[in-house]
Amino acid sequence: MISKWFDERLELQKFKDKFLNKAFPVHPTFLLGEVALFSFVTLVLSGIFLGLLYEPSTGKISLFGAMVPAAYASVVKIDLLPLGVIVRRIHHWSAMIMIASVIAHLARVYFTSAYRKPREINWLIGLGLLGITLGAAFTGYLLPYSQFSVTATSIAYYISKSVPWVGDWIARLLFAGEFPAHATVPRFFFLHVMVIPAVLVSLVGLHMLVLIKQKHTEPGANRKRKEARGGQRLIGIPVWPEQSYISVSLFFFLLFVVVLMATYIPLNPIETFGPPSPVTPVMRPDWYFLPIYGFLKLIPGDLSISIAGAKIGPEAIGGVFFPGILAFILVAIPFLDRASEAHNYIENPLHRPFMTSAGIAVAAFLFMTTVSGYIDVLHIAPASMAIYVVVVSAAAWVISYLLLRRYGRAVKKGEHVES
Amino acid sequence: MVDTNSEGREGHVTRRQFARGFVLAVVAAAVGSVLSFLKLLAPSKKGGGYVATVSRGDLLVYARGSRMGNLLKASEFEPGEAVLVYPKGKSGNEANLVQLIRLEQSEFKPPTRPELTDQGFVAYSAICTHLGCIVGWVKDKKDPEASYTECPCHNSIFNPARGATVMGGPAPIPLAQIGVKVSRDGTLVFTSGFSGPIGPQV
Ligand code: HEM
Ligand code: FES
Repeated sequence: MISKWFDERLELQKFKDKFLNKAFPVHPTFLLGEVALFSFVTLVLSGIFLGLLYEPSTGKISLFGAMVPAAYASVVKIDLLPLGVIVRRIHHWSAMIMIASVIAHLARVYFTSAYRKPREINWLIGLGLLGITLGAAFTGYLLPYSQFSVTATSIAYYISKSVPWVGDWIARLLFAGEFPAHATVPRFFFLHVMVIPAVLVSLVGLHMLVLIKQKHTEPGANRKRKEARGGQRLIGIPVWPEQSYISVSLFFFLLFVVVLMATYIPLNPIETFGPPSPVTPVMRPDWYFLPIYGFLKLIPGDLSISIAGAKIGPEAIGGVFFPGILAFILVAIPFLDRASEAHNYIENPLHRPFMTSAGIAVAAFLFMTTVSGYIDVLHIAPASMAIYVVVVSAAAWVISYLLLRRYGRAVKKGEHVES
Repeated sequence: MVDTNSEGREGHVTRRQFARGFVLAVVAAAVGSVLSFLKLLAPSKKGGGYVATVSRGDLLVYARGSRMGNLLKASEFEPGEAVLVYPKGKSGNEANLVQLIRLEQSEFKPPTRPELTDQGFVAYSAICTHLGCIVGWVKDKKDPEASYTECPCHNSIFNPARGATVMGGPAPIPLAQIGVKVSRDGTLVFTSGFSGPIGPQV
């Protein structure tokens, strides 16, 4: 038998006993990380197809009689292939799903406080994965080299340049010169298809290793079940076969959804935007960058601070400090909300009024800054919108905190919770 | 024999201490060299960024659309209209991109520089001073004089009758003005360079 042949050489049985019997606790939100991983697999597959046809150059070539950048022409040609445009959309939709699932995964870990001791390391690796994923989306966005791509990247170039003291150097490092430089597209291409995927795969591997070592947190209900059994072992289903069936179904279901979306919902129609030209269309970035984009709109032009020779203007406040502070808070969370002993059960978010309401406030804030991206169509003045952002986020915090505290008291008294 | 596990006698370095120091030194050297590579990866400045090359006497041509590259005629514009233009023969440099606007000559108020305007024509750099998008024009059909310049990216608003002062949004400074005048044959010509800095102020 074939499996026996392999077993005699690779000791598969030993591997199976050690890894495939690992327990995987059952909870639907524990699958968010898998959704992210599987979207990445789809991205790699569709990305290889695109990479074989894409030309990373801004040199002008002739396309239907017009001189356009070679990168743009090559993507137009991909779109003209039978199903070519579908592959591009599969790539772009998978990118969006990947980012959405990474964010949802992060929110799950936050609200169930699974980041606490001993899992701080994996929280940090996870944040790295989020950053790298956003980096992948950002570098990918330039590649088609449409008017849209170029405008978006140019804005990002000036944002990096606005970093106090070192901005000028950082911008030249990231963009291989002063954007639009000839070297920018080749550098972004290499980062996008080689460096970033390699780092991503390594970080995912590390993430998994730490997970296998530390095991999942378990749903709180398992605590009682375990005590009843008097055992210490993790309760869940084995990786093989049960969890594998779930994972395989999940992967193909995801693929089905992505192909369906790619078939019916157009995305980034570069032929409509055209090659770079001296005009900026009304443009909004993909949804995951909308909070930064919206926040940039709220900072009045005369707001600027000078420290130690560096001028921190509205671009730096909106584009550097706002995301920077957000990232800093995320990194700091497990070190602020410290636990003296190891936590191995997920916490019910309803029993953690402060942290849960803070999370809700951040979500409300991101939502409101996203809405700020639309003040031009909503006809709201930036100053009023800034007030709405603050008021709504603060109200979300206070109200959810009070409700949760009340819920907590009610539970303590053993009363029924009023609805 | 030396006992490698115990601390060394005073003034002596144990093998372990030496090994540790050695590894640290090698790592530091490696990190240092990688940092110098980073420096190589950031090409030095070559006078890039927005450096305008427009000069006095350059003729104005359409920057886009079906008439791209053609000379402008003053008669083609009503008050309340605006268009993107380049100095003729210098369209390769985006820093030269200018928004030409026609209003009524009587509308201009300081800090607009009247000597840079002519017959209601006024011109400003078209590169937004926030993050470098190309500005657009919001035309008020009922009241042409109420039309204004708006950046499509983060909605900075500039008042063309008042030296492109920032009326709202994140742009830190006004768009730089540039002199234009109508020549005898009805074409338009630049009469100066930009009156101030152009492009993103970072
Ligand atoms: C090994 C992995 C990957 C390869 C080989 C790859 C390759 C490519 C190529 C060749 C393009 C340019 C063609 C085009 O624009 O349609 C592209 C675009 C893009 N990539 Fe990737 N990619 C990979 C991973 C990712 C990841 C992880 C993300 C984000 C999470 C991502 C997001 C994007 C986006 C948003 C675009 C622009 C798509 C569009 O034009 O509509 N890619 N990628
Ligand atoms: S680039 Fe013009 S408002 Fe931001």
